[in-house]
Amino acid sequence: MNASTVFLIDDQSSVRHALGEMLNVFGYVIETYESADRFLQALDPSRHGCVVADVRMPGMDGIELVRELARRQCPLPVVLISGHADVLMAVTAIKAGAEDFIEKPVDDVQLVAAINRGLARAHTQQRLQEKIQDVLARFERLTPREVEVFDLVVQGYTSEAIAERLGISIRTVEGYRVQIMDKMQAEGIAVLVRQAIRLDRISP
Amino acid sequence: MAGFVFAYLSLEWISFIHEYNGLPLTPWNPGLGLALTFLILLGPRYGIALFAGIIIAEIVIVRSKLEWTVIVGISAIISSGYALVSTVMRKRLRLDVGLTHLRDVIILLGAGAIGAAVITLLLALVLLTVSKIDFGDIVLAARAFIVGDIIGIAVTTPLLLRVVRRWREQTFHLPLARIPEIASFLVVILIALWLIARIENADTSRLFYLLFLPVVIAAVRHGIDGACLALAATQFGLVGLLHHHGYDWKIFTEFQVLMFVLTATGLIVGVVVSERQEIERVARASEARLKEKEAEVAYATRFSLVSGLASALAHEINQPMAAARALGRSAQELLRRPQADLTRADKNLTTLLAEIDLASGILRRIRDFLRRGRPQISTVNIQSMLDDTLMLIGPEAVSKQVMIDVDCAVDLPAAHGDGIQLQQVVLNLVRNAVDSVVSSGRTDGRIQITARLSDNSTSLEIGVLDNGPGIPADVIDHLFKPLTTSKKEGLGLGLSICMAIAEAHGGRLWLHSNRAGATEFRLSLPLEPPERT
Repeated sequence: MNASTVFLIDDQSSVRHALGEMLNVFGYVIETYESADRFLQALDPSRHGCVVADVRMPGMDGIELVRELARRQCPLPVVLISGHADVLMAVTAIKAGAEDFIEKPVDDVQLVAAINRGLARAHTQQRLQEKIQDVLARFERLTPREVEVFDLVVQGYTSEAIAERLGISIRTVEGYRVQIMDKMQAEGIAVLVRQAIRLDRISP
Repeated sequence: MAGFVFAYLSLEWISFIHEYNGLPLTPWNPGLGLALTFLILLGPRYGIALFAGIIIAEIVIVRSKLEWTVIVGISAIISSGYALVSTVMRKRLRLDVGLTHLRDVIILLGAGAIGAAVITLLLALVLLTVSKIDFGDIVLAARAFIVGDIIGIAVTTPLLLRVVRRWREQTFHLPLARIPEIASFLVVILIALWLIARIENADTSRLFYLLFLPVVIAAVRHGIDGACLALAATQFGLVGLLHHHGYDWKIFTEFQVLMFVLTATGLIVGVVVSERQEIERVARASEARLKEKEAEVAYATRFSLVSGLASALAHEINQPMAAARALGRSAQELLRRPQADLTRADKNLTTLLAEIDLASGILRRIRDFLRRGRPQISTVNIQSMLDDTLMLIGPEAVSKQVMIDVDCAVDLPAAHGDGIQLQQVVLNLVRNAVDSVVSSGRTDGRIQITARLSDNSTSLEIGVLDNGPGIPADVIDHLFKPLTTSKKEGLGLGLSICMAIAEAHGGRLWLHSNRAGATEFRLSLPLEPPERT
C-alpha cells in the first residue's frame, strides 16, 4: 500500500507548515490547504487519505467541513484540531462525525493515532463497500424469477414451500436454486443469507 | 520626678541672680518654663514635684531667710497655680502640645502671662501679710518677678514642647548640613549683643531691635523650631551678657520686657511659617498620593483591557507554540534516524526558534503593558508604539473579523511621555472601536489608525476611525466622565483615564467625528521638545 495522504487545512501558514513538516517526517504524503473551501474545490472523490483541519478558520470552519463531506458522502475521515477548544465544540465536532478532536499545541502521538485510526476505519469501510458492490453486481445477474426464489430461500422457505407458493414444481425450484448459488458464488445457504443482509434484502 | 526636680534645681541655680526678701528674683526663670512643660505634657501631678523643687530651691540655693511656713505657702501657691494653668490650657483650651497652630502659641503665651500675673499677685499679698516689706518694694519686685516668669515660660516651654514633639515623631536629629547656617545665626546674635553691650548709658535698649533680625530670619526659614532655637540662643546670650556686665536687675528687667516682645514676635512668625510649611507639605503629599492613585487606576484599566483580550491573545500565543512543538518533534524524529537529515532538522529548528521568538514577543508586550508603578517618561516612537498596540488588539480584531489599517506618516517626530500609557490610550480607543463595529453587526468592520503631524506642525495627532454606528446620544455628553459605559462588562473608566493620560502628557483627547460609519476619536500630543545642544 502506498503512503497515505494527509490533507492538512489551516489558515495559519506557520502552523500549516510545521504540522505538515512533522507529518511528512512521520511518513505521510502531505497536501496543504489554507481554507476548507480551497480543499473542497480541489477534492477528487475517489482519493483516499485523512483530513486534518483547524476548527476555527475564516470562511467554512472545520465542523462545517465535516458536515459538508458527510453531505457529499465522501468517506474521508476528518481529525479536527483547535487552539481554543471547549467541551461544547468537541461534542459538536464528534457528533458531526469528526474522527477526533485535538487541542493545540498538538500532541503528535495523539494526532498520529487519530489519523491512523481514521485511515484504518476508512479502509475497512472501503473494503466493505467494495464487497457490497461485488455482491450487488452478482445479484444483478439474477432473473426476476430467480430473485423471487432468492428472497424466499434466504427467508428460510424450503423448496417444497417455495414450489407451493410460486405454483411451480419442486424440481424447477431446485433448478433455480442451483442457478442462484452459481451466480452468487455461494457455497451454501449461510453465505447466501449473509449476502442478502449486505444487499439489505432482509434484516439480520 | 526626681529627674525633673534635679533639672529644675539646676536651672534655678543657673538663673539665680538676686534674692529679694527671700524670693529668688531672677529676670529669667527657665526653671518655671521646664516645670510648665512637665505640667502640660504629664499632667498636674507634677505640681507636687514643683512644690518640692521650690522648697528645696528656697532652702539650698536662695538660702531664704523667710519662715518655713511662708516658704511652704509660696511653694504651694506657685505649684498649684501653674498646675491649674496647665490643666486649663490642656483641657479647657485644648492646647496642641506640638504647637502646630497659631492659636496654640497664643494660648501658651496668653495663659502663661495671665497665670504668672495672678500668681505673682497672690505671692505679693502673702508677702504683704507676713510683711516686713513695704508696698513700693513689693510692686517693684513683682514687676521683675512677672517678667522673669513670663519670659521663662515664653522661651523655655515652646522649645521643650517642640523637642518632645520632634522626639515623638522621630524627626529629632542634628541637621549636620545646617551647621554653617546655625553658626552664622549665632555669630549674628553675638554681634548684635556685643553692639548692645557697647552702649552703656541709660538708653540701653536702643539697639535691641538688632536682635529681631536673626530671630525673624530663623523663624521665616525654619518655622517654630528655628524661632525657638534662635530665641533660646538670644536669651542665653542676653542673660550671659547682662550678668557679665553686672547690670542692675532693674535694667535687666527692662531688657527682658523687650525680650518678651521679641519672643512673642519670633514665635508667632515661626508658627505661622510652620503652619504654611505644613499646609504645603500636606498639599504636596496629597498630590503625590493622587498621582499614585491615578497610576493605580490606569494599571487597573490596563489590566481590564488585557483581560478582555485574553482569549484572543492566548490563541495568538498558542499558534506559534503549536508550530514550534510540531517542528521540534520533526527535528527530533529526523535526528533519531540512522542517517540523520541534518540540513532538514536544522531548518526545522531555525523555524522553531523564530516561532518561539514570536510567542515571547507577544508575551513581552503583554508584560510591558501590565507593568506597574510610576510612569516612565522617555521618547516615544509613535510607529513602534502603534505596532505594539496592534500586536495586542490584532488577534481580537481578527477573531471578530474586523480589519485594522495603520497609516503612520513616515519620519514622524517622537512624542514625549510614557509609552505604555500612550499605548493604553490607543488600545482603549481601538478596543472601543472594535466593540462598536461588532455591536452594529456589520461584517465589513474596518478601523483606521492614522498618525501624523497636526496642520500647524506643532503637535502629533493620532486618529482612530471606525465604521461603526457612532456614539449613542445619551452617552455623548458625559463620554469622558468616569463610570460612563455602554458595555455590560465595562468599568466605565477607560475614556476618563485616557483623558487624564492625554492631559498629563500636555495633550488632548476628543471625539472628532460622530458620524455613523465614520466615528473618529483623536489624541493630540505635543512634540518632543528639541534637544538642547
